[in-house]
Amino acid sequence: MSQKKPQMQVEQKVPENIVKKTARDTKLREAVAKRRTERLAANKTRRAQWDKNAQAYENEYKAADKSLIDNIRKAKSEGGFYVPAESKLILVVRIRGINTLNPQVRQTLRLLKLRQLHNAAFVRVNKATIEMIRKVEPYVTYGYPSRAVIKNLIYKRGYAKINGQRIPITNNNVIEQQLGKVGIHSIEDLIHEIVTVGPNFKEANRFLWAFKLRGPRGGFIAKRKSFINQGDWGNREDLINDLVKRMI
Amino acid sequence: MTSVPLVSVFSADDSSKVTAKHIPLPAVFQTPIRPDIVSFVHTNIAKNRRQAHAVNPQAGMQHSAESWGTGRAVARIPRVSGSGTHRSGQAAFGNQCRKGRMSLPIKVWRRWHRRVNIKQKRHAAATAVAATGIVPLVLARGHRISQVPQIPLVVEDKIESYEKTTDALNFLKRFGAFEDVQKVVSTKVVRAGISKQRGKKYRVRKGPLVVYFNENAKLLKAFRNVPGVEVVNVTRLNLLQLAPGGQLGRFVIWTQSAFAHLDKLFGTYRYTSIIKDGYQLLRPLITNPDLARIINSNQVQEKVQPAKTTKVLHEVQKKNPLKNTKAMDRLNPYAKKQRAAAVAAIKANTKGTKKIKKNKALKKASRAAYNKVAASLNDATKAAVQEEQDIKVKYFSVQKGAAQTE
Repeated sequence: MSQKKPQMQVEQKVPENIVKKTARDTKLREAVAKRRTERLAANKTRRAQWDKNAQAYENEYKAADKSLIDNIRKAKSEGGFYVPAESKLILVVRIRGINTLNPQVRQTLRLLKLRQLHNAAFVRVNKATIEMIRKVEPYVTYGYPSRAVIKNLIYKRGYAKINGQRIPITNNNVIEQQLGKVGIHSIEDLIHEIVTVGPNFKEANRFLWAFKLRGPRGGFIAKRKSFINQGDWGNREDLINDLVKRMI
Repeated sequence: MTSVPLVSVFSADDSSKVTAKHIPLPAVFQTPIRPDIVSFVHTNIAKNRRQAHAVNPQAGMQHSAESWGTGRAVARIPRVSGSGTHRSGQAAFGNQCRKGRMSLPIKVWRRWHRRVNIKQKRHAAATAVAATGIVPLVLARGHRISQVPQIPLVVEDKIESYEKTTDALNFLKRFGAFEDVQKVVSTKVVRAGISKQRGKKYRVRKGPLVVYFNENAKLLKAFRNVPGVEVVNVTRLNLLQLAPGGQLGRFVIWTQSAFAHLDKLFGTYRYTSIIKDGYQLLRPLITNPDLARIINSNQVQEKVQPAKTTKVLHEVQKKNPLKNTKAMDRLNPYAKKQRAAAVAAIKANTKGTKKIKKNKALKKASRAAYNKVAASLNDATKAAVQEEQDIKVKYFSVQKGAAQTE
């Protein structure tokens, strides 16, 4: 039978501040981990919602296209014409530089967010904005953007104005933070709001920084002349899409 | 610090024997280390040993040089008068001139010495003494003290009666201080520069400093010839010796009575000094230097705000979602399905054509259909071309060699 030898008791005394610090650190780490799991779970549901919304919008767009075609066919078959509603949205592109500008024109361009050459911005169509655009007509070209152009602009050249800073829209948190309270949570929501000029178009458009486009590949025709006179400035209706595609 | 640090006094003959076990450290050694004060005081006090020197006041000026003025196609600098030698007509007096006087010649009444406030000098001395008791500082200064039994090294007063250098050497060997002396000996070099011709041939390092108390001590003569060793009375401690070059941490060997005298000399934190009339040792700015303990204490942690997390809102680099699938999927999870659907649609189309390629009969039928359409088109175009030619012939009568008839 072996007798257990009395062993010297070595007291492991840990300094008090280390004990406190480890306790505090573990608590913080647990809180961070908990926040992370919560965030990941929330993100999953959010992404599912974005997916669902995007799908709904795609169906909506397809339905809109189909109804347009159906209306045209119906009118043709009856021997009449189908005149689609005038566009509620205008895309304005600044064509002139900053030098020697009439101060009122300068101010109006600023109000339209067009502070720089080749800046583009969406504008809702109403009496007030029509008058503004008329004031600056020789310095801009504008028209009715197509859905594809709107989508490409926001995806490729989409920047947000957050706290006066120009922040790239690289993820939907950027959008959620600013526009979450008006029901726009993802980029597809934003695009849909712009395309349909919905009830929160004002917030959505304010959120967007002016699109900084490049000069058009292939060039302008003649910026000194109006579009009607084989130039460039003024209303070019649907042909704005061709121009912007070359500028995007 | 509730406990007073203690120091042992060693026997002069045997470094392993301790004559007085635990003597409290004099309060000077608790003074905060202030290298800024020491370096300020040192730079000024070091100037006080300087001897005046000056340039010969007549140097470069022993000419009757005068400027030739304008109109002679030469610079207006004073020129040496006279003739018959190269020197005549040459420029003189100016600092820019060859053989001219220097600019701002040094005068003997230059302010060579600096006065320093007494309090600053005393604080510097106190700090320097404190630093001699801190091993890392002494090591950092370059002293070889790895074999020294204790820092600060306090030895019984017997060494004050040493008369022979051999006694001194043996004493140093016994206490591990000889390594420092050897360092001094081995690193003695001939000085670079002119000073070697002016009586400072060698550059010698500083070794141990021996501090004694009794005025009729004979140890000065014993230690005098040991290279590097300096001997000084504790009442005449010199910052230039305690912190040579302004660098704290001289290796000091104290005799017991010298060590005991330090409290009277510098005073304590309870009593001002008697000898340095009314001098109070410097108090530390922070009484509890254990910052980790302070920061982690309950009192501080209760008030502290939670650490700020750097919340990044957007990716550092914007990638084009129209080209970068990852960036697209991040923004629009439905895009993946759309891409898949597009690929499936293409595949469905090609399936049909593949089917045709494989089936020869189908191929033949499709080719026949194509030819029929092409032929009918050909007929149509032939007719159109013929019609155009008829019109040309009818209205313009352009034929080879035919004259235009009216």
